Amino acid sequence: MSTRLEAEHLYKVFGRRPDEAVERLRHGADREELRADGTTAAVIDASFTVEPGQIFVVMGLSGSGKSTLLRMLNGLLEPTAGHVRFDGQDLTALGDRELREVRAQKISMVFQHFALFPHRSVLENAAYGLGVQGVPRAEREKRAAEALELCGLAGWEKSWPDELSGGMQQRVGLARALATDADLLLMDESFSALDPLIRRDMQDQLLQLQQTLKKTIVFITHDLNEAMRLGDRIAVMRDGRIVQTGSAEDILIRPANDYVASFIQDVDRSRVLTAAAVMDEDVRGDEAGCGCETATPDTPFTELCAISARLTHPVAVLDTKGKLVGRIPRQRLVGFLGDQQGEPEPCDNPRGTRDGMVIANA
Amino acid sequence: MPRIHFGDWIETAVDWLQSHLTWVFDIVKAVLGGMYDGVDAVLGGGEPLLMAGILAVIACWLRGLLPGTLAFVGLALIDSLGLWDDAMDTLSLVLVAAVITVVFAVPLGIWAARSNRVSAQLRPVLDVMQTMPAFIYLIPGVMFFGVGTTPGLLATIIFAMPPGVRMTELGIRQVDGELIEAAEAFGTSPRTTLARVQLPLALPTIMAGVNQVIMLALSMVVIGGMAGAGGLGEQVYSAITQLKVGLAAESGVAVVVLAMYLDRMTGALGQRVSPLGRRAAAKAAVAAAGRFRLAHYKPGGAVAVVGVVVLALVAGGMNQAGSGGGEQTAAGNSTNVGQGEKINLGYIPWDEGTATTYLWKELLEQRGYETDVKQLDPGPLYSGVARGDIDFQTDAWLPTTHKAYWDKYSSQLDDLGAWYGPTSLELTVPSYVKGIDSLADLKGQGKKFGGKIIGIEASAGMMGTLNKSVLKAYGLDGEYKVVSSSTSSMLAELDRSIKKREPVVVTLWSPHWAYGKYDLKKLKDPEGAWGKGEQIHTVAHKGFDKKNPTVAKWLKGFKLTETQLTSLENDIRAAGEGQEQDGVRTWLKKNPGLVDKLAPVAGGAKKQGRDAGRAVDIGYFPWDEAIAATYLWQNILEDRGYKPNVEQLDPGPLYTSLAQGQMDVQLDGWLPTTHKEYVDRFKGQLDDLGAWYGPTSLELTVPSYVKGVDSLADLKGRGEEFGGKIIGIEASAGMMGTLNKSVLKAYGLDGEYKVVSSSTSSMLAELDRSIKKREPVVVTLWSPHWAYGKYDLKKLKDPEGAWGQGEQIHTVAKKGFGREFPELNGWLKNFKLTEEQLASLEVEIQKGGAGNEKESARRWMDTRPGIEDKLAPVTG
Repeated sequence: MSTRLEAEHLYKVFGRRPDEAVERLRHGADREELRADGTTAAVIDASFTVEPGQIFVVMGLSGSGKSTLLRMLNGLLEPTAGHVRFDGQDLTALGDRELREVRAQKISMVFQHFALFPHRSVLENAAYGLGVQGVPRAEREKRAAEALELCGLAGWEKSWPDELSGGMQQRVGLARALATDADLLLMDESFSALDPLIRRDMQDQLLQLQQTLKKTIVFITHDLNEAMRLGDRIAVMRDGRIVQTGSAEDILIRPANDYVASFIQDVDRSRVLTAAAVMDEDVRGDEAGCGCETATPDTPFTELCAISARLTHPVAVLDTKGKLVGRIPRQRLVGFLGDQQGEPEPCDNPRGTRDGMVIANA
Repeated sequence: MPRIHFGDWIETAVDWLQSHLTWVFDIVKAVLGGMYDGVDAVLGGGEPLLMAGILAVIACWLRGLLPGTLAFVGLALIDSLGLWDDAMDTLSLVLVAAVITVVFAVPLGIWAARSNRVSAQLRPVLDVMQTMPAFIYLIPGVMFFGVGTTPGLLATIIFAMPPGVRMTELGIRQVDGELIEAAEAFGTSPRTTLARVQLPLALPTIMAGVNQVIMLALSMVVIGGMAGAGGLGEQVYSAITQLKVGLAAESGVAVVVLAMYLDRMTGALGQRVSPLGRRAAAKAAVAAAGRFRLAHYKPGGAVAVVGVVVLALVAGGMNQAGSGGGEQTAAGNSTNVGQGEKINLGYIPWDEGTATTYLWKELLEQRGYETDVKQLDPGPLYSGVARGDIDFQTDAWLPTTHKAYWDKYSSQLDDLGAWYGPTSLELTVPSYVKGIDSLADLKGQGKKFGGKIIGIEASAGMMGTLNKSVLKAYGLDGEYKVVSSSTSSMLAELDRSIKKREPVVVTLWSPHWAYGKYDLKKLKDPEGAWGKGEQIHTVAHKGFDKKNPTVAKWLKGFKLTETQLTSLENDIRAAGEGQEQDGVRTWLKKNPGLVDKLAPVAGGAKKQGRDAGRAVDIGYFPWDEAIAATYLWQNILEDRGYKPNVEQLDPGPLYTSLAQGQMDVQLDGWLPTTHKEYVDRFKGQLDDLGAWYGPTSLELTVPSYVKGVDSLADLKGRGEEFGGKIIGIEASAGMMGTLNKSVLKAYGLDGEYKVVSSSTSSMLAELDRSIKKREPVVVTLWSPHWAYGKYDLKKLKDPEGAWGQGEQIHTVAKKGFGREFPELNGWLKNFKLTEEQLASLEVEIQKGGAGNEKESARRWMDTRPGIEDKLAPVTG
């Protein structure tokens, strides 16, 4: 499967003489230096790829440049330097008209504050993108109604946006994005404005939809838990640069630097980590030989702990075909929880293995 | 600081534009004027109440039944104030201005919303448009486009534009950026984003801007009126400048009604067109349902359209019928010299200007011209005439008052001569201000007047004279400050001061109606500082005499005496506000033949005499046959192209002036008895043109209910019955001498009766009074006299022949009259009236009442076709 979306050395500089600023950045100048000159480097040398059907989460604090990065992906902002390739097509080389065509047909977007048109009904809002595509009215309304139904809004077609709750409004926003049948969905902090419970519902619904629709999604968020929950791959941004790209586990287990490490400190690992992340892949082959409980690579951490508590030996991890892919000794589980991933140090006291209290006292 | 000659640059620029870009202005004028005419034809074309109905149906559709009804009531009120046409003119003006403004303002606002640079550059321009006093561009507007709707429209557009632009920009900028981004993110093109997202969402704000545009446009119509834009503005302006507070208030009410209608309608329209507004309205309607349902009933769009169409069709149909009728009446008039040619008149709202302008409007319309009259300030008026937008104006005070304008435009103007003069300029105080009779008396009295002289417009020439020479000549320049305001403010101040009996000194001029209304004292000018009096000229644009030779000829011959002017002004004032032309008609009716005199039609109904154009001074004393004959001849002479001046004098002065040649002729010489004295005294200095009536008889007369008195002899011994009095006439009359000297003696009445000499009119009043009370009375009377027709009277017989023989009524002229006026001399020599003719003529005049003698004589002539040609035959 080829890459759906590829960002290659993207730069975005606001202010005077942006090209010159890009040159300086390439030679190692940092953001603060440029700011002194009155230019703002919003995105610096961002590169990543997104595979079809993936949810790619860009995470960062406000001001880190993630929204700017997102807007370069569909050409709302023109990169100062670098390229965006979508299905192999270089968007940065397109003229306005072709770019609009691409946006209308292939890329849709969901906004933080929903951005529903207050002068259009729910149905008309959902049908907006189709209208731009030039789909005839009857078909447009049919497809918009389908999209609304998909998002759980059947029966609300005739309502007006301001009559809906925040969560429902964002479902309309989602339905509007889905109705166009775009391959790529850009979501800009789409759930940030919602209450925590509703946000969770929406995340669940997005994941559920994704299972059937298999869209390629670039999702922007400042909420690490959300990033971990949704993201197949996560890019962490800081001060305009992508500091680390990887899966949730990668980031949690192998933070690229102190910033990422401090960032992930508060994350509830037990809810993020799965067997695949914690297992020891160095297996002898007979761990699953007994009739004991086993785990799959997707088994969540909390469940692993429960299994491990019921067994006397490490938990065996089998993939969907029943092939042994790893083992998880109890000590390893405890180590991940405490962010301590080395081998245990040997103890001088022969009883030490039995009585941790003594070791601690010694 | 060096003086920056910014003003000069502007003048140069204006001059350059005027000479080089005329075609641009002509196009603009054609477009704006065309739009206005079109809209006005639609709005002003229909029957007022039907139009009001159409507007009310629209109100009903937009806002509901109750507002619709109120709209109809308000509009009907305008019609009942007689301001409908003006209101429709104004409405057209406002609508055209608003449409053009919106057409420019909305795109400009959009442009400004999309570009910060444009917005920043536009802002100061809008500030200038909004705050620059409108006069400043109104006057160049007149220079470029001439007087009329165009400069008014343009000024309105300029003034009303800023809120339109600003509100559009604001509305678009207020649209949530995320929505625009959303539209863009779905691939919407900028233009579609504008149309589908920005404009619909900005629409409530834009409509608020449109509302403001319309309201500002309406507030500008008064200022537009100063440039001749017409409509209610002109009414308000002309009313205010003439202190007609009532008319101004009426026009003001009409403006307010229009304003409220337009405000509510645009507000409702804003709600209708914007989707958000529609939703809000729907919600409100649901909330209000149940209560006042009928009042808030709104007809559906279809119902409203049907209503409007039906009313419009009816209006159109009636219009068609109306215009058909109008054409028929206009056809077949031999005096239709103008053939519908359009003549534009302008006037300054000074009384004599108003009077003569409406006089000419009426004259020209009688001659088949179409006229358009505009009230203007002197500046726009002169530039309008210079441009040729106005054909002529009759109120040019030269050489002083309008010197500045004359100097500026003299190359583009033609002076058609003075029709009145000399006038005088003066300072005036109310007559209760004692001790101040001359300008010199003002010195040292500055405190009394607050150190102020209330002036008129600073631009008036007399203000310059006042400041430059008058004050200096009397050493008043330190003590008094001349407050320049406007004529109307000056008059208002005068009125206020007189009401409070405060001392005040104002600049005024003669002729002016204020002298008739208030008791004022002109301050003498022994130094002659005001200079010589001025003449009031008629001024036309260059080449008017080639374009309109007939009218130019009439205007060149135009003259009014002070009597004529003041009586005309009085009639116009009596006719009331806004009815100037009716006043003129009344006045013309009182002055029959004047139409033909002022606007003679070559080869028309009236034949000119050989000496046409010559002035003839006719004197008379107020005896009935004298009045009758004199006014008869005045009519005849005017028809023949003479310029008869009629003057009433006592017999003594009349004969004296005839003898001295100051007066040309009089028609009431009673010879040989009554006027014997005069004729004897001026023997050789008078020409007797022969008798036109006779014999007359003199007699004493009693009402016929006085029984037993049939002859003079019967009076004897009955003196007590009559109070011992014989009611006589003027002591100077010859018959009074005869009565005293011979009649009383012949019948032995001189101890018993006393002859009370009074006047003819007192005698007749006494007779009337006595008859009403059926008291016995004896009066001196003569035949012919209309009293014999009116009352049942008995002439007392004169068996002794004491009254002498009957007299003849002669026409007496100055020496050499025959050489000077050979034609008229011939006519008068052959002049004869029968008793029946004279009696009927006198009765006609009696019926017409005092002041209408000439009109009455004309009526009498009209009942006797051919009499004119018989009395004043013209050969060829």
